[in-house]
Amino acid sequence: MNVLLIAALLLYLSSAIYAIITLAMEQSRARIGQWLRGLVAVGFVVHTISLALGWIQWGHFPVVNLKEVCSFLAWAIAAYYLLFVPRDKARALPIFVLLCGFLLTLVSLLLPNEPLSLTLSSAISASPFTKIIFPLHVTMLVFSYAAFVVTVAGSVMYLVQERELKAKRFGAAFRWMPALNTCDELSYRSLTIGFVLLTLGMVTGMMWGSQHDGRFWHNDPKEVLALVTWFVYLAMIHYRVTAGWRGRRVAWMAIGGFVAVLITFIGARAMGGYHVFG
Amino acid sequence: MSIVLLSINHHTAPVEVREQLAFSEAELPTALRAMIAREVIQEGLILSTCNRVEVIAEAADANQLRDFVYELKRLPLNCFNHHLVQLTDAEAIQHTFRVASSLDSMIVGEPQILGQVKEAFQIAQNAGAVGHTLTRLMNRAFAVAKKVRNETGIAANAVSISYVAVELARKVFDSLAGTTVLLLGAGEMAELAAKHFITNGAEKLLIVNRTFENAQALAAEMNGEAVSFETLDSRLAEADIVLCSTGAAHYLVSPSHIEHALEQRRYRPIFLIDISVPRNIDPAISELDNAFVFDIDDLEAVATANLQERQREAERAEIIVAAEAERFAASLAEGNLNKVIGVLRREVQQIALDELERSRKRLGALTPEQEDALHVMLNSIVNKFTHPIIKQMRESEDGHSPYLEAFREFYHQEKE
Repeated sequence: MNVLLIAALLLYLSSAIYAIITLAMEQSRARIGQWLRGLVAVGFVVHTISLALGWIQWGHFPVVNLKEVCSFLAWAIAAYYLLFVPRDKARALPIFVLLCGFLLTLVSLLLPNEPLSLTLSSAISASPFTKIIFPLHVTMLVFSYAAFVVTVAGSVMYLVQERELKAKRFGAAFRWMPALNTCDELSYRSLTIGFVLLTLGMVTGMMWGSQHDGRFWHNDPKEVLALVTWFVYLAMIHYRVTAGWRGRRVAWMAIGGFVAVLITFIGARAMGGYHVFG
Repeated sequence: MSIVLLSINHHTAPVEVREQLAFSEAELPTALRAMIAREVIQEGLILSTCNRVEVIAEAADANQLRDFVYELKRLPLNCFNHHLVQLTDAEAIQHTFRVASSLDSMIVGEPQILGQVKEAFQIAQNAGAVGHTLTRLMNRAFAVAKKVRNETGIAANAVSISYVAVELARKVFDSLAGTTVLLLGAGEMAELAAKHFITNGAEKLLIVNRTFENAQALAAEMNGEAVSFETLDSRLAEADIVLCSTGAAHYLVSPSHIEHALEQRRYRPIFLIDISVPRNIDPAISELDNAFVFDIDDLEAVATANLQERQREAERAEIIVAAEAERFAASLAEGNLNKVIGVLRREVQQIALDELERSRKRLGALTPEQEDALHVMLNSIVNKFTHPIIKQMRESEDGHSPYLEAFREFYHQEKE
């Protein structure tokens, strides 16, 4: 399983490198994009096999500790990239996304494999219902994080491109960043997808909690932070729809939202509480 | 026969001279037919654009081709000799490739020239003026031009103001499909830019002019909608792209206009190009989110930078073209050489066989074995005799060995 994960890691790395060296090429962007997708797709397939083998080997859905969650998130990012990132217009964007996937896979490889705690194990397999709802809960949330990674990548690129345009600097950054509309559309689409998944992830979490100990809300730091994140994203979508907010302001908010995601993802772990993993 | 080329272009001659040698499209077929009617010219092609006249031919020598062109244009012989460039074989091939690849163009990398070369070839084909050699040459030239385009960035960046405007807009909207362009004023540059936006996918064109009749006239010509100046404020929100070029001495579009328009547009970005001097769009608009303003200096700065980039790429392209020209010249010479060698061998073989037939009577009846032995012997004599000559011919570097020339001359005289 580790050999496969290392193979996936190298494939993500080489696709990121490929994206970097082809960045300056103006011709045949579509073909470059196709090759890039091909490389990522191979990495994704290898990664999928690695995850499936892990599932069989450990006998549980492979997202119960940070090591597994990192790997799963990298996989979700690759999937998201293959599904939603346009192949010829994204220019520098895949580099950001693919490096994220690479780093997460690397972190996963470096982390020790914590055994599944007994309490969690019993909580997962308490009933046939929790057996289904737990993987759903985690999968939705991990996929929402993947979408938010693309949102923040689009937002950062938007801000860079916007600054170059306003400063009338037409150098490398100007040429290599996607068009403002591309950044904006990609960010917004990822944001909506991420938001829906985040909502579903939280709801399934509550359903699982209520099955588990009868309470759907535990005032756990992770739950609170997730709720804060949810409100940040809700506000963004709300203002986009009602007041047409877009561009720079929304890009900054997306970065803010992502910081909230990061705190939820990593910070809550440090604060302890009911959610012990991921 | 060799490939010869006669060129007069913007590097070598002013327009007063070029126009006297230019051919209109209607003239071309007659000229081409007259050309190949000459005994010394086997194939011919004429490319005539506003920047150049190129006469390419498979002919005995360049001077005769030149005299023919003077004659055709009814000009005194030798009158523009110092403006004309005459090239043969390898140099002619390289020049053809450079022209097709847009390396010899006034604006290096401009894309129209390849189309013009293709059209010239088509016309020559229709007139029946091109044969094997020029067809090969031109097809190779098209392939080289494509290679240069694909492998270097000589055509990558815009170098004219109106293309730069389109390029910049693409960094905001990505695709111009479905965008609306508002043309404010009737400056020629803005009009040209508007045309570029339309050909690049912009969907709708609004034309605003202080004199409504002018707007209507232009709208009819460009298939746009005329908008009266008084309603500019209310229509501004429809525009994704504003192109402005008027003679007004003050700002016509202020930040508050754009702020209002953006609000109506729900903050979809608006892209403004101001080609007027003095400027008509307040540069302070740039401080608003989702509004992007560029003036003539910005566009020119991009164009200059792009042009420098192109020149760097052109150096790479020159290397590709030189290598391709050398290869083509070599393969052409190789082809010629093989043709000559074939003729040589056949001739000598024929002599041997003729002699055999002549001696048949005296030889009497031959057994099949004897017949075979005789053929082997004759073949071997032919090979032994021709081998050193062929070797000498092949060893000459550029396919111009004295043996080759001598044989050609001898052979041609023999035939006549």
